[in-house]
Amino acid sequence: MSVLNSNNAPDASVVKPHFIFSSLSLLILSVMIILADSSFLDAYFNTKIVAITHMAVLGWAIMIVFGALYQLIPVVFETSLFSENLAKFTFWISSFSVVFLTYSFWIGAYATLLPYAASLMFISLLLFIVNILLSYKNSKLKNNSSKFVITAVLWLAITEIIGTLIAFNFMYTFLSEIHLHYLKIHATIGLIGWFLLLIIGVSSTLIPMFFVSHELKDKKLSIAYYLINFGLIALSVNWFFIHQNQFDILFWLSIAIGILFFISFVYDSYKKRMRKILDIGMKHTMLSIISLVLPFALGLVLTLGFGIEQVLIYRVVTVYGFSIIFGFITTLILGQTYKTLPFVIWLDKYKGLVGKIKTPMPRELYSEKIANIHFYFYLLFIISMILGIFFDKLWLIRIGSYLLLIVAVLYNINVFKMVSHKVKTEITNEN
Amino acid sequence: MKTKEEITIFELEVLELLKNVMDPEIEINIVDLGLIYEVNYDGKKNINIEMTFSTPSCPLGETIISSVKEAIKQKHQDFTINIDVVFDPLWSTALVSEEGKKLLGL
Repeated sequence: MSVLNSNNAPDASVVKPHFIFSSLSLLILSVMIILADSSFLDAYFNTKIVAITHMAVLGWAIMIVFGALYQLIPVVFETSLFSENLAKFTFWISSFSVVFLTYSFWIGAYATLLPYAASLMFISLLLFIVNILLSYKNSKLKNNSSKFVITAVLWLAITEIIGTLIAFNFMYTFLSEIHLHYLKIHATIGLIGWFLLLIIGVSSTLIPMFFVSHELKDKKLSIAYYLINFGLIALSVNWFFIHQNQFDILFWLSIAIGILFFISFVYDSYKKRMRKILDIGMKHTMLSIISLVLPFALGLVLTLGFGIEQVLIYRVVTVYGFSIIFGFITTLILGQTYKTLPFVIWLDKYKGLVGKIKTPMPRELYSEKIANIHFYFYLLFIISMILGIFFDKLWLIRIGSYLLLIVAVLYNINVFKMVSHKVKTEITNEN
Repeated sequence: MKTKEEITIFELEVLELLKNVMDPEIEINIVDLGLIYEVNYDGKKNINIEMTFSTPSCPLGETIISSVKEAIKQKHQDFTINIDVVFDPLWSTALVSEEGKKLLGL
């Protein structure tokens, strides 16, 4: 008998707190966006936007990604997580660091609190990285998915090192260039190297699994892997050491073509799918993948310049970051919550009860109606915010921020409905 | 000792019982999904099942195995059930039954 990965699944107590923390972070994030108000129309590096970005990326996205990844390690690596206790410890230190770091940015305490908050964050991410790398060491499976995940984790380490250096530079100035220069590298490596590669790695296993599609061409993933990594390494080396910006367009193109190969892989999976009807999780997922086109179009616009005036450049940068964090990453997370959390809870509650009592289906643990409603509200939020930032319309941004609050409340209702699910002991009478 | 015909009828009955086991993700029973490769009854108290999962890294594998055992034990409590999970041949959509295709909306 083959080794079954469900034996390797971590205890629900490792995964569940991450989902709870993240969904609360989304709620806090929506309130922060309401409070930030016109900051979205200022230069993108103002304290409020930087605080919102870190809350979104760390509190919301990274925490849920950590939880999901702990659950998915057995699927992607075909081995168990190296240490569940280390994962639980990492959760507490990360949670505290996220709040501390976001608060430091929000009040603009760059030279006082930020370096300490960044150091704590650095330690927590390092613990996560160690746990994943040691899990990978035990894995016999070295395929495209695991390659993407491990490379993403290495990029996360680099992102974090740069972030921590920037934070310390506020206290002891030692970097040769201005902060914005390093901020650009930090954000690009974080969003592309960490998030994008991780998402490609995990979704190249999960999307065909959820679509029930087979006989897909792995070669497209290999090409995507090399093109994206080449582009990102070249960009980083250029920005750090060579400073020949005229070559940036080539490196961005390499990344963009790599992404197209990934999108093409997803499209193959979509075309060959056995499950014709898209459930709410896959609806979000498809919207997220399609949304990838916008930031890369904007990335090319920013690289080529087109003689756009500086004020507009700032807005394009804000939309660029917004479209990656909210258009791509958040949409995907909202959807994948419904593909991951119900199974975590279902396995935890019903694993030992199958056949003994009438068990519900995992999708019955949440309200599909609520999930559908927040899908459309979320779509309106994205459209409203992007138009508001582009066309300098504060009223659109305000509408958008309240739409996100509605989404966050609805999403939290579903998450808490799942995590507080109780087993109904209805015995089957088929004997 | 049971006749060959009785054994075949019994094996078909087991297959019917297994139609009560659902794949929780795809929400189709595992027989119509094509996950059951073979059911062998020895004419006494042993049932051997050769089956697969839709993917080798199926996170619900263990749960599906438990469900298979429970589904048979509901009717044949004192039987020994051996389950062999194989990935050769790998499961593919070609193995889904006509009924399964209807359930999937194909």
